[in-house]
Amino acid sequence: MPHRLEIALKPDLSDAEGENLRQKAQNYFGIELAQVRTVHILTIDADLTAEQLSKVQTDIFTNPVTQISSFAPLPIAFDWCIRIGYRPGVKDNAGDTAVEAIEDTLGIRFNDREAVYTSKRYCLKGNHPNFSHDRAIVEKIAGELLANDIIQQWDLYSSSGWDSEIGVGFIVPKVILDHKPAVLTVSTDSDAALQKVSDERNLALNPKDIPTIRSYFANDDVRQQRAAVGLSDPTDIELEYISQARSDHCNHNTFQGRFFYRASANSQVEIIDNLFDTCIKKPTLELKEQKDWVISVLWDNAGAGRFDDNHYFVITGETHNSPSNMEAYGGAITGIVGVYRDPLGTGKGAKLVMGGYGYCTGPRDYSGSIKPHLHPRRLLDGVIEGVRDGGNKSGIPTVFGQVLFDDAYIGKSLVFVTAAGIMPAEVAGSPAEKKRTSPGDLVIMCGGRVGKDGIHGVTASSESFSADTPAGHVQIGDPYTQKKMHDFLLEVRDEGLIQFITDNGGGGLSSSVGESALFSDGCAIQLEKVPLKYQGLDQWEIWISESQERMTVAIKPEHWERFHTLSEKHAVESTVIGQYTDTGKLHITYNDKTCAYIDLDFLSSGFPQWEFDAQWQTPADRGLYEPVISSPANYNELLTDILARPNVCSKEWVIRQYDHEVQGSSVIKPLVGAKRDMNSDAVVIRPVLDSEKGLAYTQALLPWYSAIDARSMACCTIDEAVRRLIAVGTDWDRIGGVDNFCWPDIQYDSLANPDGKFKAAQLVRACMGLKEICTAFQIPLLSGKDSMYADGHLSGSYNETHKISAPETLQFSCIGVVANITQCVTMDSKQTGDRVYVLGITRNELGGSEYYAHFGYTGMNVPEVYPEKFSRVYKAVNQAIRQELAASVHGIYRGGLGIHLAMTAMGGDLGMNVDLGKVTADQVHHDDIILFSETPGRFIVTVDPVNSEAFEALFNDMPYACIGEVTGKTDHFIVNGADGHLIVDIPVSELRCAWKRPFGALV
Amino acid sequence: MSKRVNALVLTGFGLNCDNETAYALNLAGADVQRVHINTLIKGEVHLKDFQLLVFGGGFSWGDDHGAGVIQAVRLKTNLGRRILKFIADGNLVLGICNGFQTLVNLGLLPGLDGDYQTRSVALTFNDCGNFRNDWVSLTVNQESPCVFTHNIQTLELPVRHGEGKLTADEQVIKRLINNRQVVMRYAGADGEPANGCFPSNPNGSLYDVAGICDPTGRIFGLMPHPEAFNHFTNHPNWTRLKEKHKRQGRQINTEETLGVRLLKNGVDYILKRSSKIIQNFKE
Repeated sequence: MPHRLEIALKPDLSDAEGENLRQKAQNYFGIELAQVRTVHILTIDADLTAEQLSKVQTDIFTNPVTQISSFAPLPIAFDWCIRIGYRPGVKDNAGDTAVEAIEDTLGIRFNDREAVYTSKRYCLKGNHPNFSHDRAIVEKIAGELLANDIIQQWDLYSSSGWDSEIGVGFIVPKVILDHKPAVLTVSTDSDAALQKVSDERNLALNPKDIPTIRSYFANDDVRQQRAAVGLSDPTDIELEYISQARSDHCNHNTFQGRFFYRASANSQVEIIDNLFDTCIKKPTLELKEQKDWVISVLWDNAGAGRFDDNHYFVITGETHNSPSNMEAYGGAITGIVGVYRDPLGTGKGAKLVMGGYGYCTGPRDYSGSIKPHLHPRRLLDGVIEGVRDGGNKSGIPTVFGQVLFDDAYIGKSLVFVTAAGIMPAEVAGSPAEKKRTSPGDLVIMCGGRVGKDGIHGVTASSESFSADTPAGHVQIGDPYTQKKMHDFLLEVRDEGLIQFITDNGGGGLSSSVGESALFSDGCAIQLEKVPLKYQGLDQWEIWISESQERMTVAIKPEHWERFHTLSEKHAVESTVIGQYTDTGKLHITYNDKTCAYIDLDFLSSGFPQWEFDAQWQTPADRGLYEPVISSPANYNELLTDILARPNVCSKEWVIRQYDHEVQGSSVIKPLVGAKRDMNSDAVVIRPVLDSEKGLAYTQALLPWYSAIDARSMACCTIDEAVRRLIAVGTDWDRIGGVDNFCWPDIQYDSLANPDGKFKAAQLVRACMGLKEICTAFQIPLLSGKDSMYADGHLSGSYNETHKISAPETLQFSCIGVVANITQCVTMDSKQTGDRVYVLGITRNELGGSEYYAHFGYTGMNVPEVYPEKFSRVYKAVNQAIRQELAASVHGIYRGGLGIHLAMTAMGGDLGMNVDLGKVTADQVHHDDIILFSETPGRFIVTVDPVNSEAFEALFNDMPYACIGEVTGKTDHFIVNGADGHLIVDIPVSELRCAWKRPFGALV
Repeated sequence: MSKRVNALVLTGFGLNCDNETAYALNLAGADVQRVHINTLIKGEVHLKDFQLLVFGGGFSWGDDHGAGVIQAVRLKTNLGRRILKFIADGNLVLGICNGFQTLVNLGLLPGLDGDYQTRSVALTFNDCGNFRNDWVSLTVNQESPCVFTHNIQTLELPVRHGEGKLTADEQVIKRLINNRQVVMRYAGADGEPANGCFPSNPNGSLYDVAGICDPTGRIFGLMPHPEAFNHFTNHPNWTRLKEKHKRQGRQINTEETLGVRLLKNGVDYILKRSSKIIQNFKE
């Protein structure tokens, strides 16, 4: 019989969680509540005696100082009570730790059928008598603030409908699958028949792959070999394996496709066979030859570079868009915890040292008629919290991130997550970056257990979001379980026990075992050995389940005992599920009966390449033009209004809820300056505590330029990321990049995707830009991912649906080594009297700018990157920082010179007086263009006058100008126009006030 | 008899500050072992070989049932008596953040009347309603018996927690104040106690309490992270300080940080104590 323990804070203590809900109801919906109190419910579904129950109640679950608790409903007054609990099968982390605590305290073991489930009820009291009759309002709070139907169930109780004896009753969300696992054989009589199976089972097979699959299983040799193990037509588990491996998510069919590109309506077709090979792989491999610090790229879970003689750093970036759009918190926490397994599964395993994030959502105050699945504000709240818990509970500092808003992201919001780690160059005497499986090695699954969660996650992210997307792929990451596994795996790594390691992410065992078996050329898996969360999973489900927090590890059989001992020490579950072989086959059995027998090289042979028509239309062909704007008169107001735009303003509330200093390695924090509230250009950490070398990290996102040309978008994004790293003192020749593409569907369809050819051309152009700039700047692409199908089909006012495509987006992250952290520089002005320099030329490049966006324009003069000219400046800045000549360095990014001068001044909390007439400009005379043009390649540097001669000497034949000075008058941020007239004179405090206006009240 | 100070830093089950805590203790002059909670429970490592036991930061058991709660239950059940003996032997216990939360749930703090088993103080959810990472100014009670804060008047350290609001009955708070067990308080830029003002007081802690000790001063718990100030570049304003010093023709102090000094005070206390013991032994 289940027992229900209700726990609440003592009535005289403030309830921060309840108060948070009260404020959200007020701020988001204008619903006035007098009070909200939270009751935490533990439903203990286990056979415990009254004495045992009383012991766990007092010893574990009730703090005598702050809490009250009862096995009967707590008598807390309300007008309405909302109960929220998880649906069956959803990961309940708190329930799992409750079991651990109860077992330990009572010295017992729960059996397979026993568990603890957590839920909550919120006791709401309204401000006026009508509230007790207003069910609709409470439903809105429950459905739109608290619960997500995909993972949670909720009930409402009015005070009159509440039975104080029964309370919420006993709700046990136990998974009961009355199902005997079975392997199905699928007939492959015709293409149509297989397509039908694919549709029915949500396999998402590409129609072009179907003939290849059929011909394999029709091959006489194959059939003979299969007959010998008792198989004929393909089994469901085999088709699922093929589907996972061939999905765009795993196989990157789009980037590996063949593009027929035309630069304009009349130009010749240019064939680009494989964007990945041409624009990413080839240039990176060439750079690897030239740069001995590039250790390992393009094959492992993350790329590796040399940190110092004894350490390598590793880095990768991912997106977790589809799940986060369904369930923001669960999607995001699974995303960050998931990307942390990539460095852990790189080489023989790296320790995680930092994380990054990038969120692109609809406007927080969105009020349009087209309805996204989750309102952008709610989605963003959930995503922020998911990454918060995932990062903080992993003990990995979340050091840098960006939040962007645009209407076009309501179709599909983007969630980027990045992870970096560090590993010793050698592990037990052998190179840490190398690994392989060998015949005879044991296949071990470590970490969490397997359930139905995450099934078909990979194939779902390879499709646009629609009402049919299976909700089952949403899950909730468990950083606690993974942190234990992380500590465990590093210990076994250091003992030299790991032959091979990789993570179970997309595609589950199917991907991790399938890919690791390629090294030994075969494996034999006994699927019944895989530990399950509950019985009743079909074999194919076990094989492709994406249940989280699992790694696949290969070890020598003689190491099993030691491996197992350490696994127990760390309270991590590890199970031998098979052996690597050299048979060339993936051989899966279940209770000795073969259910899959397939040639491992089948996947790399004979599948047709995807093909795309890519038709570019120039901005002029599309009718874009420069808007006609006369010079503004009120610059004070214009400047503060742009500072307060959502894509410029302070987002301190996000940064402060992320632990960015755990591991004790922080050198340059995400927030810097006199008041510690300005965004740093980049962050620097000291990942090896007894070294004075640093690791610098930053990222850039400029999707708005794609409205003019995605090539410019890519070039400017890379330039910005590089410049950000240079600004804090990163060595010019030690910078690596990570490219994360998020693109709408590019496959042309006259009805479903009429602009597919243009979007394909945008992708081609972005990749060409990437190649050009990375080659010129000599930036190897250490890692990268693409996430296609950034589209959503959302319903409008009349029950019609609209396809909304996200802007073509590239997040570019840069990582680099700082030779001496004590020379790092921040962006804030430091001292009165320092000279203010602008490095680089300012051009008329307002196309796609924040200034134009402020007026609703796009424009056409999109910024252009000149890598050869820019890199000379960057090297000189690098020199200036090394010679300690610069007091502050700050790049000029989104918003332009005016905005970033203001940031330098706010950073120092000092005044400034500058003349626009002195800015080195290329045929630009209008003040608004000088102030707001987003020309790349530029910096603002403040310099102690005693250093100015030496500083200027470094930039001898380059464009630079001293445009004014830092002043002690904080009441005066002064800008004089090109003609010498005063155009801006405003206190620094007012700049700061405007900059914090939109989100300053959020915590 | 060894003249070295042996410090034990707990690891495992979601604890996560063990590496930098060990590093900072090393800088402070201690020999440090990071020991998994299970290793200690199994008796493969013995508390009697150490003079300083550190409960560090992290999210033990995910902190899903109140921060530090399950860690405290686990340790009380399996190590309770061994820890009490360790304290009775005159050794030092330091709890940082999650470790502080664990100490109050174990009842090791505040240890009123030498009772090291009763929970009378709690660290609960921040008033601001969220996890918060920020540097805070702290003012140290010069009359506190705490052995870790000797000769430190004020310092700045980072806080990184969601449950750091110290709360207790009024009577208990009064006794802590009267006993001088309130070791450090959150302060404003002027060095005066924050008087509850956010964000100087980041969590709404009663009486601005950031750290308390037991009546002997040998058990100390605090929410801020001294181990995260192990290098001068950890300080949020170091680039500004460096530039300021440069203009005055001086070098920024790159030596011992106040975070390390705090730990070193503990190490020095043990060294002094053991030299006394050695002296007694000779006599």
